[in-house]
Amino acid sequence: MAYLSQYQYYENGGTAPTNQNWGSYQYVSLEDIVNNFQLMYAGNHSLINNEERYKILFHAKRAIQELNYDAFKEIKALQLTVFDNLTFVLPSDYVNWVRISLYKDGWIRPLNENIQLNSAKAYLQGAGGTLTFDVDGNVITTASELDTDRINGNQKSIYLNKNNSDEQTSVNSDANWYAEYSIGARYGLNTETANANPTFRIDKKAGVINFDSTMLNESCILEYISDGMEGGNDSLITVNKLFEQYIYAAIKYELLNSKFNVQEYIISRARKDKSALLRNAKIRLSNIHPGKLLMNLRGDNKWIK
Amino acid sequence: MINSVRNTVLAILNKNNYGYISPSDFNLFAKQAQLDIFDEYFITYNNQINKENGRVSGTGYADAKKGTEEVIDYFSETSALTQSSNNVYFLPSEITTGYDYYLINKVLCYSGGLLKGEAEKVTHSKITMLNNSLLTKPSQTYPAYTQEAGLLTVYPETFNGVSDVKAQYIRYPKDPKWTYITISNGDPIFNQSLSDYQDFELPIEDENNLVARILQYAGISIREGDAYAFGKNIEQQENQES
Repeated sequence: MAYLSQYQYYENGGTAPTNQNWGSYQYVSLEDIVNNFQLMYAGNHSLINNEERYKILFHAKRAIQELNYDAFKEIKALQLTVFDNLTFVLPSDYVNWVRISLYKDGWIRPLNENIQLNSAKAYLQGAGGTLTFDVDGNVITTASELDTDRINGNQKSIYLNKNNSDEQTSVNSDANWYAEYSIGARYGLNTETANANPTFRIDKKAGVINFDSTMLNESCILEYISDGMEGGNDSLITVNKLFEQYIYAAIKYELLNSKFNVQEYIISRARKDKSALLRNAKIRLSNIHPGKLLMNLRGDNKWIK
Repeated sequence: MINSVRNTVLAILNKNNYGYISPSDFNLFAKQAQLDIFDEYFITYNNQINKENGRVSGTGYADAKKGTEEVIDYFSETSALTQSSNNVYFLPSEITTGYDYYLINKVLCYSGGLLKGEAEKVTHSKITMLNNSLLTKPSQTYPAYTQEAGLLTVYPETFNGVSDVKAQYIRYPKDPKWTYITISNGDPIFNQSLSDYQDFELPIEDENNLVARILQYAGISIREGDAYAFGKNIEQQENQES
């Protein structure tokens, strides 16, 4: 990012949005990275020579993507209410989820991923199980019973929330009451499913999170990571300055590694350089402060009852 | 410099009784000789870089590359390219920018008068794939261009304004012209005040080289092998020194 005056930084020079530049000094733009790399690491007297700019751009973006997947701690959060279809559409820049929570009564309650299936595709079947096809020869699909039951709240759950299979639901039949019981003996609680909060499963291909019916009309917070590509707008792509040197090293390594006739010791040097810089940057970004450790260690003499 | 070169050429030819070349022939040979030397500057430049990479070149006064760069930069021009249609622009030429280009060094893309980025030249075999690439598709920040038959196509297509594209290029040297007035009873007299007068655009250090090359052309023209050999000999000596 360009160097800004205090006025530009705090109030964006009086232009809305005035908060646009807040915190921008932490970052270096993709434009700067590619420009600096071409100036400093590529040229007639450098290891990198006669390489197209689009290759440099590609490797710079790939390095930024990789950093976004694990090294950065830049977790995005999106809060939405789950409505009748019990789905939460994944954000447009979603790559992977970190945590999904229910926000209720002022509390953030982390949710568990259901280990059982809660959504399926179904084909429209006729008598005898025959399938029906449209004019293009594609099978006609319909809502699955699994989905319908889940949305209607009829799907049983192995978790401790609604419709738990351990609930003894009584049924009146022939003027007699019958109760459902679990088959077989139980030895304590199954800790894997011991959670009373709503559950979810992510249908990655469909791009949605499917919740059980207890999530109806509840507020959901999705914490997720993106790849830092800012919807394809090159001018908005930035990377934390702590990783700047790593990106140069990563581009250099990738270019040398894919180039014909480069000696192995040069590639090896570039690889080590890249790995060391990544490690350094991760340590720097981890922000291990003595103060934080002190807070944790203050409890070390507490009695465990 | 052109008069000096012509006088030297004529002096050599006359001294050895090889013959005489007319002003119009001289101008043709001068143009050809200048183009030869101009072309060689780029080859020399590359050789000098290779020497630097081989650590057999020095700095300061020993920096031969710098001198070559200065000569090439003399022919550098930066001009807005004339739009043909949408994102297609005419390459520099005498008609559109005033000069034919030897090579295009840099293409700059503007939007609303603001510089957005330098366009990268991409071959036709790559541009389709590049346009389909998610990560490296040409953008406002990283534009690209292809060349085809005197035209330059800029990507992305949003660069489509009349003054959206500028090029920095190396033009060809202007055709040298030894201009003269004719007196009734003698040789043509050099007159550089005529409007079509044009001196060589190469540095003075190239005078020897120009003489040598013009002598070679003149030697072939007047079918005088010695004149050609003499010119060739001078040229080889020049090359060995460099």
